[in-house]
Amino acid sequence: MSASLDKGINALKEQVDSSVAAFFSSCTHCGMCADACLFYTETGCPTATPITKVEPLRRIWKSEYTLLGRIGKMFGLNKKVDDELLTKWEKRVYDNCTLCGRCSMVCPVGNDIALMIRKTREGMAAAGHAPEGLIGATKRAVTIGSPMGVKLPALMAQINHVEKDTGLKVPLDVEGAEYMLLLSSMEIMNFPEFIEAIAKIFTKAGVSWTISTEAFEATNSGIQIGVSDIAAELVQRIVDAAEKLKVKTVISPECGHAYMAIRWDGPNLIGKPFNFKVRHILEILDEFRKDGRLKITGKEEQRLTYHDPCQISRRGGVIEQPRNLINMFSNNFVEMPDTGKMNWCCGAGGGVSTNERADKVRLKVFQRKKDQLDEIKPDAIVSACSNCRIHLEDGLEEYNMDIPLMSLTETLAEHLAD
Amino acid sequence: MTNNSNKEKTLGEVMRSRGVSRRSFLKFCAATASMMAMSPAMIPKIAHALESARRPSVIWLSFQECTGCTESLTRAHTATIESLIFDSISLDYHHTLQAASGHAAEEAREAAMNENWGKYILVVDGSIPTDNPGYSTIAGISNLDMFMQTAAGAAAIISVGTCAAYGGIPHADPNPTGAYSVYDVIKKFSNNQLDGISSATLAKAGEGSVVSKPIISVPGCPPIPVVITGVLTHFLTFGTIPELDHLGRPKAFYGQSIHDRCYRRPFYDKGLFAETFDDEGAKKGWCLYKLGCKGPTTYNACATTKWNDGTSFPIESGHPCLGCSEPDFWDGGGFYKALSMPTENITQTAIYTAAGAAAVGVALGAMNKSKKNNAVAAHNKTTIDDLEK
Repeated sequence: MSASLDKGINALKEQVDSSVAAFFSSCTHCGMCADACLFYTETGCPTATPITKVEPLRRIWKSEYTLLGRIGKMFGLNKKVDDELLTKWEKRVYDNCTLCGRCSMVCPVGNDIALMIRKTREGMAAAGHAPEGLIGATKRAVTIGSPMGVKLPALMAQINHVEKDTGLKVPLDVEGAEYMLLLSSMEIMNFPEFIEAIAKIFTKAGVSWTISTEAFEATNSGIQIGVSDIAAELVQRIVDAAEKLKVKTVISPECGHAYMAIRWDGPNLIGKPFNFKVRHILEILDEFRKDGRLKITGKEEQRLTYHDPCQISRRGGVIEQPRNLINMFSNNFVEMPDTGKMNWCCGAGGGVSTNERADKVRLKVFQRKKDQLDEIKPDAIVSACSNCRIHLEDGLEEYNMDIPLMSLTETLAEHLAD
Repeated sequence: MTNNSNKEKTLGEVMRSRGVSRRSFLKFCAATASMMAMSPAMIPKIAHALESARRPSVIWLSFQECTGCTESLTRAHTATIESLIFDSISLDYHHTLQAASGHAAEEAREAAMNENWGKYILVVDGSIPTDNPGYSTIAGISNLDMFMQTAAGAAAIISVGTCAAYGGIPHADPNPTGAYSVYDVIKKFSNNQLDGISSATLAKAGEGSVVSKPIISVPGCPPIPVVITGVLTHFLTFGTIPELDHLGRPKAFYGQSIHDRCYRRPFYDKGLFAETFDDEGAKKGWCLYKLGCKGPTTYNACATTKWNDGTSFPIESGHPCLGCSEPDFWDGGGFYKALSMPTENITQTAIYTAAGAAAVGVALGAMNKSKKNNAVAAHNKTTIDDLEK
C-alpha cells in the first residue's frame, strides 16, 4: 500500500537513458505511428497514437534532462507529471497498448516506441496507476507462482491425465536433461493437449527433456505491469531451476510475452548472462525438422493461415520456423495480408487480456484481425501463443465467425508418423 | 547641310547607308533583347522601332570627369553596331567630340535645346561641384547652371559612369569640390539646398520641372558600352525607360551580382581561395575573395557581357572586382581588403568553440548522470505490496 506519485516520478527518472533521450530528441511528431497501431486505426481516437502514450515519460525527460526543460523548471513553466495526468494516461498506457511493437517498426527516425511505453509503465505502476486486473495477476504470480493461480498439484493432475492417455512419461526434475520445458498457466488449465504434444514429439525425436516442479511457469506479469523488480524475481526462479537441473536449453512455450521476458529481457533483468540457452518451442521444432527428427504423415488440404504472435514474430524474430513447420503438414497455406514482422496484433497481448477494464476495447480492435481474415477466408488459423489463441476465439465469437483455432505444436503432434 | 539631311533620316536608313547589313542589325536587336531579358517576340519590334525611329537629339554634358566613360563608349576596336547606333543618334553637343568650341559650341547646345525642348535625351558624365562654381566651368558657365538649364528641357537623363551616378572619385572623402551625382543635385535642388544658381537657370529649371525628370543611372568606372546602347534602344523602342532597381540602374544589366555570375564561383563554394597574387591558388584561378574581390556586393553585367568585345573581365584577368558600379566604391576601405573574413585563426577558433561546447556537453551530461544516479539510489525495490496506494 505504498505506491506514490514520488515513487512514480523517481521510476520515470530512472527509466530515462541515452536511447530514450535520443528517441525523444529525434521525434518529429509526424504521426506515422498512429496508422501502425490497431488501437488508433480501429477507434480513430487520437489519444491512441502510440507516441502520445509516453507523455509522462516525455515530460520527465524534458524537465529533468534537457537544458531548456531545466530552465523552464526553474520558472515553473514545464507541464507537470501529477496524479491527474497519470490517471488520464492509465487507460492509454495499459488498456490501449499491447506492446506489440508495430509502431516501432514504422517510425521513420527509428524510435522504439513500444520500449518507451514499457518504460512508462514502470512509472505508472510505481505511482499506483496500474490496472486492478494486472495488479491481481502480478500478486498471484509472486505469491502462488502463476498469474492464474495455478499451483503444482494442478499441473501434476494434468500430467497424470496426459501420462494415462498417451502411456508416455512426462519427466519431472530430471537433472542433466537437454531441454527444460516451461509452460504458461493457460496451457496447463485450458490447453493440456500442449503437454501431450510435447511428450509425443520429444519422445519421437529421442531427446531428453524435463519439467521443473519448482519453476514451470513461463509467463511474467512483472513485464506486463511494468515492474522490473518483480519481473527479475520471476526470471530468477527459472534461472535457479535451470541451473539446479543443469539443463542445456530452456524452452519457452506457446506464449508471446513469456518468450520475450525470458529470452530478451531476462539476462538484463537479473544483470548477468544465462549459462543455458533459451529457445522458443517453434525454434526447437524447426531444429528437429532440419535434423530429420520429425517424421510427418498426412497433409491437411484445408486453407490454413498463421497468426504471427507479436512477441514471437515481430519482437522475437521467429518468423520462418512456423512456416517451415506448417508446410510439413499443409498443402494449402495462405498468408494474411501484413504478415511476419508487420502482422497485426490480436489485440490482447501485453497484459490487455488480464485487464478486465479493457475487454470492450480489445474486442473492438479485433476488427483489424477480422478484416485480415475476411480477405483470405481461411478454413482454420494456426498460431503459437495461448493468449492470442484465447483472444482470437473470443473475437471470432464476438464477430460471429466460425474459424477453428489450432496450436502449431499440437497440430504437428497430430501429424507425427508412427 | 549633310547633318540636317541626316536628321530627317531614320536610324535604319542611316545604318544601311553606312553598310550595316540587315542580318547584323537583327543580330544586334536579338542580342539587345536577350541582354535586357525580353522575350524573343520583342526582337522584330525592336528592329522596327529602331529602323523607323527618327534619330533622337542627344546632348552630352561632361562635368568633373576623366573622359574615361567617353573613351569606353567611343574607342571601339572595330566598328560595332553599338558604336554605329551611337554615331547615328543626333549627338548635338559633346564637348570632347565636337569640332566646334567656345561660344559656337554653346550656341549649338542652345539651338538643339530650343529645337527639341522636352524631347532630347540628356547624357551626363562626371559629377557636379556645388561648392564654388569656379571649380569647373565651361565657356564661363558653371557646371551647376549648365546642368540645371539643360536638364529642364530633357525627356530623360542618363547618368553615365559612377561620377554622374553616385559622385564617384570627385565625391570621395573629403570631397573638396562639394561634388554630387545628378540624382543628388536634383534632390538638393528640390529641397532648396543649392546656392549659386543663377536666376536665369532657376527660371528655366522651374519651366521644365527638373524635379520630375526620369533619371537612369548607368554606373561603372567606366560603364559597359552595351549598357548605354541597351538603354537607348529601350527608350527608342518603347518610348519609356527600362525597369530600374533601387539605385536607378536598369535591372536587366544590374540585376545580378558579379559573384553570382562569376566563373570562379565554384571555387568560392568549395572554399578554394587565392591568398596572394602569386600563389598556387592564383595560378590555378581560384576565387579572389580573400584578395579583396567585391564581386559579392557588386551588381553589374561584367561577368556575362565582359569587356573588349567579350574578351574578358577583371576577375578573368586575375584581379579582384573593385566594385566600381556601387556607390562610394572609392571609400570602401581598400581594394585589396576582403569584404569580411571569418576570424584571424579559424582552426584555433574552431578548436576553442568545440572545446567549449564539449565542456558544456560534459557538464550537462554529468548533471544528467548524477540526476539519474540519484534516481537509481532513491529506488526502493518494488514488491507486490507497492502496487497500490
